[in-house]
Amino acid sequence: MTAPTTRRAPAPAPAAAGARGAARLSVASRRQRLIGLAAVLPALVMVVGFMAFPVAYALYISFTKTNGLTFAWVGLANYTALLSDPVVHQVFGNNLKFLVSVPLVIFSALIVSVLLFERVRGWRLFRVVFFLPNVLSVAVIGLMFRNAFGYYGGVNQALGLLGVEPVQFFTDGTLAISVIVLALVWSGFGYQSLLLLAGLTSIDPAVFEAAALDGAGWWKRLWHITIPNIRRVLGFVFIINVLYTFTSLFGFVYVMTAGGPGFDTTTIDYLVYLRAFSSTNLGSGAALAVVLFLFIGVLTLVQNRVFRLQEED
Amino acid sequence: MAAEQVSTRLTRRGRWPIFIGLCVVAATIIYPLFFVTLTSLRPNADYLQDPFGLPAIWTLDNYTTLSRVYGVGDAFVRSLAVTGVTVSIVLLLAIFAGYGLARYPVPGRRVITSVFVSVMLIPGPVLIIPIYLMLSRMDLVATYPGLILVYVATGLPFSVFFLTLSFRGVPVEVIEAARIDGAGFFRTLGSIVVPMGLSGLATLAVLQFLGVWNELIFAIILIPDQADRLLTPTLANIGERFVTDQPLVSAGLAITASVPLLLLAVASRYIMQGLQVGVSR
Repeated sequence: MTAPTTRRAPAPAPAAAGARGAARLSVASRRQRLIGLAAVLPALVMVVGFMAFPVAYALYISFTKTNGLTFAWVGLANYTALLSDPVVHQVFGNNLKFLVSVPLVIFSALIVSVLLFERVRGWRLFRVVFFLPNVLSVAVIGLMFRNAFGYYGGVNQALGLLGVEPVQFFTDGTLAISVIVLALVWSGFGYQSLLLLAGLTSIDPAVFEAAALDGAGWWKRLWHITIPNIRRVLGFVFIINVLYTFTSLFGFVYVMTAGGPGFDTTTIDYLVYLRAFSSTNLGSGAALAVVLFLFIGVLTLVQNRVFRLQEED
Repeated sequence: MAAEQVSTRLTRRGRWPIFIGLCVVAATIIYPLFFVTLTSLRPNADYLQDPFGLPAIWTLDNYTTLSRVYGVGDAFVRSLAVTGVTVSIVLLLAIFAGYGLARYPVPGRRVITSVFVSVMLIPGPVLIIPIYLMLSRMDLVATYPGLILVYVATGLPFSVFFLTLSFRGVPVEVIEAARIDGAGFFRTLGSIVVPMGLSGLATLAVLQFLGVWNELIFAIILIPDQADRLLTPTLANIGERFVTDQPLVSAGLAITASVPLLLLAVASRYIMQGLQVGVSR
């Protein structure tokens, strides 16, 4: 069906000669511009209205004391209150603890990607299996781990078989964080190993061949060629992991610990939720969200800068 | 290809440890899911007696209890409906916008593109308070249209970005030829761009479906009444209330995970294609 139209295509194109042709062309192109704009507009309006505007609105809310109905301008009061709030300090510290997951995830992903790169039998199927946790909801993964590490869960049952007393994993802050970190690693390493695999595949095979000719063994090639050559992807994976720890732990915390015991496992995003729906001042939650946003923005900029510099040397 | 050349340098014997290593890693993913499925098919007493053995009694009681007593069946249907409507709207709007940005001289295209890209960086927690207040002012809190509105808005940036890239792959000559034959926006879209970009659209549909099906924060705060909630928050609530009844919670997990796992089984090709875009970004 497309064949005849392509054949006819070149003919009318140069026909737009002379003043009348040019005028017709500009009318046509204005028409094209309008059609294009009309096509983009619905999506743009939705995104500006319900994503960009809310950020500005959050900024405004953060300067007020409000219950959602009446807004009283308080300037920077919400921000100064955050600075002296011990809960906020503790919660920020918790987020830093969760950063332990970053090297763990990257290390596991790196190992798995190098194994996959050897293209042993069935590597395509392995790829799908490793991706599996990524299609599951954080709520499902969180509950699976909460179940497994619960008092009657698989882990304690297994410990029981070994004659060990059941452990209350979720009444101790450090243990609870460890379980969440484990869930993070379990759910994250597969996808990231696929990202790293894509990086590995793009390395020029000539480099490997040269190294092999020089007598470099498998391990040597791994450390001196493979890893340095995927620095860029490693950097990208590092960034998404750090951002994830600061913005996306809500689901895990919500289903696994509800932030407890005390505030021991509360993360910044969970605290925003708590402040928003269980306190009389929404402004405080909004201020926290804005601080998080700025922090993430700065972090992204710094990391981009660092990894770009590395790339150039 | 190139990669195979490299890997052939490992001897046949050297590849066995790698295969076994991969099997071990795969087991750490498969076994927990297997354990959950098995646990969901037995009574609690049977589970406590021998959690790691095969069930002595096989039963579907956990599933029927969840459906009859805790409304999980209704929540499943609601989730399916909300997700289906959301994905349809997102696809429709993103197809228009993606085609416009890819093949029309949209005024201010660079600014518009950068709006779509930069809002992708907004962390979710920033949105929850303002969105809740906006929707409550519009009387859309505790309604499904309100929730769908938010899902559409948050799903669009990536979708538009993705489809713009994927529609740029449709040869411009074919579209031009159809235009010269008098085909307008909708004709070229329907008869050329969509059919040729079908695999990209399938990828996007699957990714968006997973995103909405698994979403938790907005599903909790925008539908406050427990009886009206979608599946994922319903599951979270059941998990909270029945810590001691592992088989019951496991059945809930199996129900919630079933649809994404089914999608992965059917559409793994499209999901894997979607990954490539994530990397090139």
